[in-house]
Amino acid sequence: MSDTQESMINNTNSGSPLGVRGTKTAKILVFSTEKISDPAIDMAGLLKLHYPPTVYTISVPCSSGIKPSWILYAYEKGFDGVFIAADGSDCVYGESCTEKTGHLMAKTHNMMKEKEIDPARLRMAAICSVCSESFVKQMRNFNEYLLKTRETIPNP
Amino acid sequence: MNKEIIIQEDVTQNVPLQGDLGGKTPIKNITYDALVVGAGIAGGETALNLANTGYKVLLVDKELSVGGKMIMLSKVFPTLDCAACITTPKVSEISRHPNITIFTGSEVSNIKKINDNEFTAKVTKHPRYVHIEDCTACQLCEKACPVNVRDQYQFGLIGRKAAFIPFSICSPKAAAIDIDNCTLCGACEKACPTNCIDFTMETEEMNLHVKTVVLATGFKLFDPENMPRYGYGKFKNILTAQQMERELAPTRPYNTILRPGDGKVPDKIAYVLCVGSRDASVGNPLCSQICCMYSIKQAQLLMGALPMADVTIYYINIRSFGKGFEEFYQQAKGMGVNFVKGKIGKISEKENGNLILRYEDINEGRLQEAEHDMVILSTGVLPNTGIEKFFDNQTLALDPFNFVGQSDALISPAKTSIDGVFVAGTAIGPMDIPDTILSAGAASSEAISYLLAPPTSPKGRL
Amino acid sequence: MKPKKIGVYICHCGGNISDYVDVEKVRQSVEGEDVVFIAKTTMFACSDANQRDMVEDIKQNELDGVIVASCSPKLHLLTFRNVSVRADLNKYTYVHANIREQASWAHSDNKAAATEKAIHLVKAAIAKSRYAQALETNKIKTTKAVAVVGAGVAGMKAAITLAQKDTHVFLIEKMPAVGGHVAEWGSLFSTNETGSEMVNRLYNEVKQYDNISVMTNSEVIENKGSVGNIMLKVRTKTENDNEGHIAEINVGSVLMATGFDHYTPEEGEFGYHSSDKIITLPEFKRMVDTQNGKLVHNGKEVKNIAYIYCVGSRQTEGENTYCSRNCCTSTIHAAVTAKNKFAGIHNFHFTRGLRTYGKQEIIYAESLRQGDIYLQSYEEDPATVIAENNKVIVKINDILTSGKELEVEADLVVLVTGMVPRTDSNMGPLFKIPKGRDKFFTEVHMKLRPVETVIDGITIAGTCQGPKNIAESVNSALSAATKSYTILNKGELETDPLVATIDPEKCTWCGACEEACPFDAIIKTDKNGKTIAEINNTVCKGCGMCAPVCDPDAVNLIACSSKEIMSMIDALV
Repeated sequence: MSDTQESMINNTNSGSPLGVRGTKTAKILVFSTEKISDPAIDMAGLLKLHYPPTVYTISVPCSSGIKPSWILYAYEKGFDGVFIAADGSDCVYGESCTEKTGHLMAKTHNMMKEKEIDPARLRMAAICSVCSESFVKQMRNFNEYLLKTRETIPNP
Repeated sequence: MNKEIIIQEDVTQNVPLQGDLGGKTPIKNITYDALVVGAGIAGGETALNLANTGYKVLLVDKELSVGGKMIMLSKVFPTLDCAACITTPKVSEISRHPNITIFTGSEVSNIKKINDNEFTAKVTKHPRYVHIEDCTACQLCEKACPVNVRDQYQFGLIGRKAAFIPFSICSPKAAAIDIDNCTLCGACEKACPTNCIDFTMETEEMNLHVKTVVLATGFKLFDPENMPRYGYGKFKNILTAQQMERELAPTRPYNTILRPGDGKVPDKIAYVLCVGSRDASVGNPLCSQICCMYSIKQAQLLMGALPMADVTIYYINIRSFGKGFEEFYQQAKGMGVNFVKGKIGKISEKENGNLILRYEDINEGRLQEAEHDMVILSTGVLPNTGIEKFFDNQTLALDPFNFVGQSDALISPAKTSIDGVFVAGTAIGPMDIPDTILSAGAASSEAISYLLAPPTSPKGRL
Repeated sequence: MKPKKIGVYICHCGGNISDYVDVEKVRQSVEGEDVVFIAKTTMFACSDANQRDMVEDIKQNELDGVIVASCSPKLHLLTFRNVSVRADLNKYTYVHANIREQASWAHSDNKAAATEKAIHLVKAAIAKSRYAQALETNKIKTTKAVAVVGAGVAGMKAAITLAQKDTHVFLIEKMPAVGGHVAEWGSLFSTNETGSEMVNRLYNEVKQYDNISVMTNSEVIENKGSVGNIMLKVRTKTENDNEGHIAEINVGSVLMATGFDHYTPEEGEFGYHSSDKIITLPEFKRMVDTQNGKLVHNGKEVKNIAYIYCVGSRQTEGENTYCSRNCCTSTIHAAVTAKNKFAGIHNFHFTRGLRTYGKQEIIYAESLRQGDIYLQSYEEDPATVIAENNKVIVKINDILTSGKELEVEADLVVLVTGMVPRTDSNMGPLFKIPKGRDKFFTEVHMKLRPVETVIDGITIAGTCQGPKNIAESVNSALSAATKSYTILNKGELETDPLVATIDPEKCTWCGACEEACPFDAIIKTDKNGKTIAEINNTVCKGCGMCAPVCDPDAVNLIACSSKEIMSMIDALV
């Protein structure tokens, strides 16, 4: 299929393509979960809902299993933002997931403050298995925020 | 229940099926739990379900490859997944499953019910003249063969050789010799690096013993030459939708979309729906259930491939009834596919190869004419006839339209008039792919129950 | 240790990937990595021919593992794990990279960036592959029993077919009686049976199996465990006792057949509730089924009936954009039945294009022969209903007569209401079954796995998945039963060995992990005189909740450990 068809199929997509030559996009690492948020991110692709191409996903079984040290490591290595696509109340491993993920977010935020990293560079939202549009919206907003606040983002 | 089976390879003790053999090799006896006739998606899915439950399955298809009609498609509605991405892994699973034996180029006849859970049949394996296990599909025989004929697997769009590999994703992936067109020049034999071509192969007949039979014999498409007023076969720039599937497929013959008359890239394409469907005058009053959707799909793919082209679909009613179908139809409208409610009366050809469609425009309430440079006929679904002739001592009932009859259509859709013989997929009637897979699931379920509990067992089957 | 030898296969997906991602460039970018022994592109990685090539490659080159960069692992992770197994590799040495859903399709607007992303994704997979190790699967014993939720036609049919397969069935129905919506119906299209006769026939069959436990007035209130061993609590209410009693049942799989609701029109939608002459299709069907002689509504004989189609379906505004599939045929069947049963009936059908697909076309043809009048409008210009002075008039700009405005004074207006998802069911949230855009339960893949959900062991059947007629519901019920049975019939199930591990050197036993574990899989134990945590591998589900809470960082998930994640971050950035 050609690009022309893409843009026509993609009714919900508005605005110009993201990350085309000359425009810059932030590097965002997404921790997503295999059973719940992965399907939503996959479906965003299936529906051709475009989001910044410098968004990379690492899948984990459950968002409450993400170590704060991984998040800090991502900033250290050069990611502009980290996004937790949390299971929320849909978690297949039980209801405590939301609370536990929230707790480790708070813990990471504190560690970020200590290291003088802008805590807003870490975001979290519950992305359920059909939340494709919400995921894309989150990525676009986060990208905009990071572009505004991060001057170090180079042109690709 | 004893799931163990013995494949009788010892041919010396076997009694031949019919009379004198005239000195030929005695007929081999083979035994399986289930016979599945037809290796399209319905038969394939049924075979997998049975095999995954531990039953030994013989899957027979008259074609040279498994995969039926679906393996030849481009992409499938409403997800636009490529058809090959869905069929090839299934085909691969089927062909490798330890519980499934596949006979391609083979036919079944003389199915006899001896008892509950006991059927016999005759299986005729036509010679491929190639030893599949030795063929590496290197295509050297194709290059060597001097004979050119129309390629039935590309629906006549291009030619092929008499020594040929059916199509690029066929399974088994091996060459075959089209003996009807072969000149027996021997060039392929010389070219073959593995010596797998063997002209001494003969038709092989086998006596089959099974406990249950599933019919997944599929459908055929209406031949538009039976509607001369549309001019198919006479006007070069009229294709069937099946041919267009090949032009759109990733393994397509021209690697682009073009009209066959002069190789021009078309820019004003028309789809004519209900060709051979909903039309008692050609003997098929039924709606074919899939043509609206496959035409809408092709229209979307065409608009992608040829962004400047106009695509118009002439329809009576758009039947986008399935999950996600209506949304897919609306999406096509949003992309700019032009939908015109009107039945095409006649098609004529201009000197430049363009086509004039005469139709009753229902919105305007009058006759109209429109010029297109390529016309696609969305041909309907017809039953494969002669299925009932497979059976010897029992009557397989057909429905009024010659599809395989269902004995309890609403509650046991897979049951036929013969207890122990089940039916799956489009052998029952027009059906799309998701419904076909579900129908195959139903036939599998009924067949497993039948295999588990013969009516004579104390538990009893209802 | 000698360095690993990895094979990388980058799939064109017949254009789905290669139209946007320069697969050759991806190949070149990764072929130089030290562990990469071969890097190839392929038209269809999943095709039989390529699978065979992969097996050949692995054996010939003695590869330690392979990576396929193709579609979502939801589709083909298992396919390629099996390829590895056929080449005598442990299946957990296989690593998958998703460059279709997450690169070529997601960024089809920007080919260069999509290619760049694909390169990083494959490099991350290579990073992960360095650490991938051979693992032994855990085998768990499964309970050969299935809970079928909902005893409509789909549920009962599924129960019967499972019972025939020596599987115990708990048939759980919320209502006091079985049969669902079909029990409400009179004559059915294409058979001579009524809905209630059909339900009785099925129920009589259900009763003949002593391995079906019918639980009416019952609802699942708790769901624990996972595929193979699911513990459910079912509350059964009795007439006097609304609290009811609670039974605990153990099953290996749950088959959802919770059905649909009829769409209820909004106040004033096509005049609904503005006149008592405006009723819904289910109400009309009941009238036709129960009355004899004359068709009477509110004391007045009914002659002219107007049917307004697609009420609550195919909405251009509002939630229900889907077609309800069954209503065209159902309405025409009711109209034909009414005309045959009562004298002087005139049927006027206000449609938006009829969808009597397949063999259902016959009933449409029959109604035309009987003189039913069909009028049609487009989506954006539907028929209107005006109720004034005890008169009801239906108006339409009929496209079948080139847009003429036509009107019919009707004695009865039937709003053809479609199917909507159950609103009063909490089975979706309880079992975590995802829903599609149409709010019906959604399958893993419409064609590959049409009755399975992303939750292992939970299958879906009938109209809880979307509108279906009876035969279609039964087909899906039998298919779902086949899947549930296939999961359980071997008596044992392999589970992922991807569990948590404890580093005994680092662990100082503080109990934080034990507290975090929702499955009681962590045990306090003494090893070599040191008190440490230990993982019970058969209970551990591999969620990883214990890992971030460990201060000395002694807990890691297999295949998702800190070293793997960090090396993937290195590759992605």
